[in-house]
Amino acid sequence: KFRLAYPLLLCAHRMFTSQTEGELRVTQVLKEKFPRATAIKVTDISGGCGAMYEIKIESEEFKEKKTVQQHQMVNQALKEEIKGMHGLRIFTSVPKC
Amino acid sequence: LRPRPSRNADAHQAWNRPAHGPGLSARPPSGTTGGALDAMVKKDKVVVFLKGTPEQPQCGFSNAVVQILRLHGVRDYAAYNVLDDPELRQGIKDYSNWPTIPQVFLNGEFVGGCDILLQMHQNGDLVEELKKLGIRSALLDEKTDQDSK
Repeated sequence: KFRLAYPLLLCAHRMFTSQTEGELRVTQVLKEKFPRATAIKVTDISGGCGAMYEIKIESEEFKEKKTVQQHQMVNQALKEEIKGMHGLRIFTSVPKC
Repeated sequence: LRPRPSRNADAHQAWNRPAHGPGLSARPPSGTTGGALDAMVKKDKVVVFLKGTPEQPQCGFSNAVVQILRLHGVRDYAAYNVLDDPELRQGIKDYSNWPTIPQVFLNGEFVGGCDILLQMHQNGDLVEELKKLGIRSALLDEKTDQDSK
């Protein structure tokens, strides 16, 4: 039952929220710096204040790298954006073939 | 750049609190330059840089690190409060090239922040890494109890 409800919930969510400028900007930078990424999701978790973001990114560019190295790659990519943030949460993954 | 030994009584307790073992009773080597920080992270097997102290974390993510270590029964670790020292706060970020606090070092090596430690806790890596340092995670003993039931 949950599986049926989930897409509906997502749909409703999207109807009532749109991406913040910050989310869009960070997503754009990540798209540029990780051209082979298969999934990127940036969420402002500071209530829209741009203070804290949760970043989920899946890319084969992370293959065979330790998690801390993967996170470092994201940190490097977002070096400028991070300067304006209070904090960020990063979740990296490698695409399952 | 000499680090000011904390004049705050609570923070001073954090340096010397015997419950956390010998690691905390020493003062950090003078300065927050790369060399000094290098010595700090290598002096103890488990070193964390927090906002606040293990007794009173001042941030949810720093608290998460403290709680995870507590779950694994790790008591002997050095905890440095970056809120005590702005030079340390920036210095450690430059040293590990990592923009946020908390920061966890195992055996002198930067492991990551709270997200990574949480992931390691969930996937069993933390138990393994602690084992490599000669630290037996308390969770292993829990598991043995369960297995024997």
